[in-house]
Amino acid sequence: MTANYSVLIIGYIFGFYMAWNIGANDVANSMASAVGAKAITIRQAVFIAGILNVVGATFIGSHVTNTIRKGIVSTQVLSDPHLALIGALSALLAAALWISFATWKSLPVSTTHSIVGAMIGFGLMAGGVSVINWGKLGAVILSWVISPVFSLVIAFLIFKLIVRVILSKKDAFARGLAFAPFFIGLTLFVVVLSFVFKTPLGKTLALTMVEALLTALALAMVGGLAGAALLKRFVGPDAENGVEEIFRRIQIGTSCYVALAQGANDVANAIGPLAVIYFIVTTGSIGAMVPVPLFLLLFGGLGIAFGIAMAGYRVMDTIGHKITTLTNTRGFAVDFSAATTVLLASKLGLPVSTTHAAVGGVMGVGLAHGFEAVNFKIILQIMLYWVLTVPAAALTSMGLFVILQFIL
Amino acid sequence: MRIPFLSMFMTSPFDGLQEHAEKVKECAWVFQHAIECHMVHNCKSFEGLREEVIRLENEADAIKRRIRGHIPVGTFMPMDKFQLFRYLREQDSVLDALEDTLDWISYREEPGIPEALQKEFLLLIDSAIDPIEELSRMVAEARKYFKNYSEKQRKLVKDIIRNIRKQEHETDRAEHMVKRKIFNLETDAVTVFHMIRLAETLGSIADHAENAGDMMRAMLSK
Repeated sequence: MTANYSVLIIGYIFGFYMAWNIGANDVANSMASAVGAKAITIRQAVFIAGILNVVGATFIGSHVTNTIRKGIVSTQVLSDPHLALIGALSALLAAALWISFATWKSLPVSTTHSIVGAMIGFGLMAGGVSVINWGKLGAVILSWVISPVFSLVIAFLIFKLIVRVILSKKDAFARGLAFAPFFIGLTLFVVVLSFVFKTPLGKTLALTMVEALLTALALAMVGGLAGAALLKRFVGPDAENGVEEIFRRIQIGTSCYVALAQGANDVANAIGPLAVIYFIVTTGSIGAMVPVPLFLLLFGGLGIAFGIAMAGYRVMDTIGHKITTLTNTRGFAVDFSAATTVLLASKLGLPVSTTHAAVGGVMGVGLAHGFEAVNFKIILQIMLYWVLTVPAAALTSMGLFVILQFIL
Repeated sequence: MRIPFLSMFMTSPFDGLQEHAEKVKECAWVFQHAIECHMVHNCKSFEGLREEVIRLENEADAIKRRIRGHIPVGTFMPMDKFQLFRYLREQDSVLDALEDTLDWISYREEPGIPEALQKEFLLLIDSAIDPIEELSRMVAEARKYFKNYSEKQRKLVKDIIRNIRKQEHETDRAEHMVKRKIFNLETDAVTVFHMIRLAETLGSIADHAENAGDMMRAMLSK
């Protein structure tokens, strides 16, 4: 059993490394547009993202996790606890290494897809081709196209709408205030729905579709009106940049939400395999679902927060200086489209990534002439890495599995 | 660092456009000094000022090339890529016209502009310089428009363009007046030729500024 405890310690280290990577990488997803649009300072962004990720991971993060993320590999590979132990370790390290590589190459990849790819590698080694759920893999492939396209369309429409009904009008500021309840309400509607459907805490409430829609609608209406009333009080009559000021306030809200949801959802990418190791080491066997102790969630959340704190500053600094044309209205359109896409796609059962959706959102606003210059060709390069993520993580995981099998 | 948005965002071409417009403006000041100095007898600094204009023109050329070289295929901007290039070309032609004018003067520095024509030439120079001053303001205001898409802002830019067009018209009138007076002057044919070409190159400065305005108008069209 002592050997197993040393495995657990290694598992903690790998898990922390993976969580750290998630933090370092995904901090840009939630806070990039807000920092780029100067809605919050870099220091604030790092601080808010860190806190909210820990809170999201610990309190909203799932206390029960699927041992295999997204059910891509049949659970029969777990029948041998020893193999499962090695598999969880190699998957964890493989995913983390791939994300580290992508981080180093400045390419946006999905942390979820990395762990899914690593799990496939483990499944192939432990159970052969038959244990892989190829239909689920198809969904992953579908998400490479669907999430950016979906997000592109929504961002395009939202930005055009903002231009048409507010910006182009003579009394833009007054119209901005008049339409604020609508935009705040719309955002709240999406936020409440994704909270109910996407986060583990929301799932425990087990609301039906109609109940959820009604709740979201009611909250959106109340929140929209209340938010607009607050806006009227706090946004001064500075007509020059008034509209941007309004969207600045809304954008801070959306960014915080993305950070919170990110902590809740992505913590499982690091903690899921770690929970498998923990469970095997402490009980000796494993099932399809494992309970995740609160301290593990906190551990994952802290790992993410460390990643944010250590890498976030540099990321934010670069964003703040380089994306000078990202105003609050644009930032809002990108945030909103990404959040909506993630909600809709996950309702359809697609394993989408916020990263993919955000990239699509930027393209949508670009198509709507929202940016002074965005380069669309880079998309092809980015997509190549989305596609590469799964096989790369899988191959690394397979290699690590072989190596670890020799050692353990 | 992995930043999903960052690799997509490029340096705004407006930064370069603004910088280029400022260079044109700066050049116009030096140009005015040079030509006014030339009118005074015994001008010592004309050559130095001409060199300065050539230097500024070179710098502006570098900016122009930088803008053109850094908009890859697949770039999305609020305006068409070629509208931007056409605009830049016209703004650059203003500079070329300034340089051409000084070159033309330098070919025959003596005896200079006849006393009788100086008043008309000063008027022509002033009206040719006026639209240049508007160019950098136009770029700045247009940039604001592409940020906030406000109808008010669009009208402001259109007003500047209309103003430039008016100033070009003024320049045309001043050019006609100068030319008429040159032919009524009892002087040698070489001087007449030199002066006529001078008036024409001065007039072309405003023409290019007007063309730049027209391209800007095309960018604003919805």
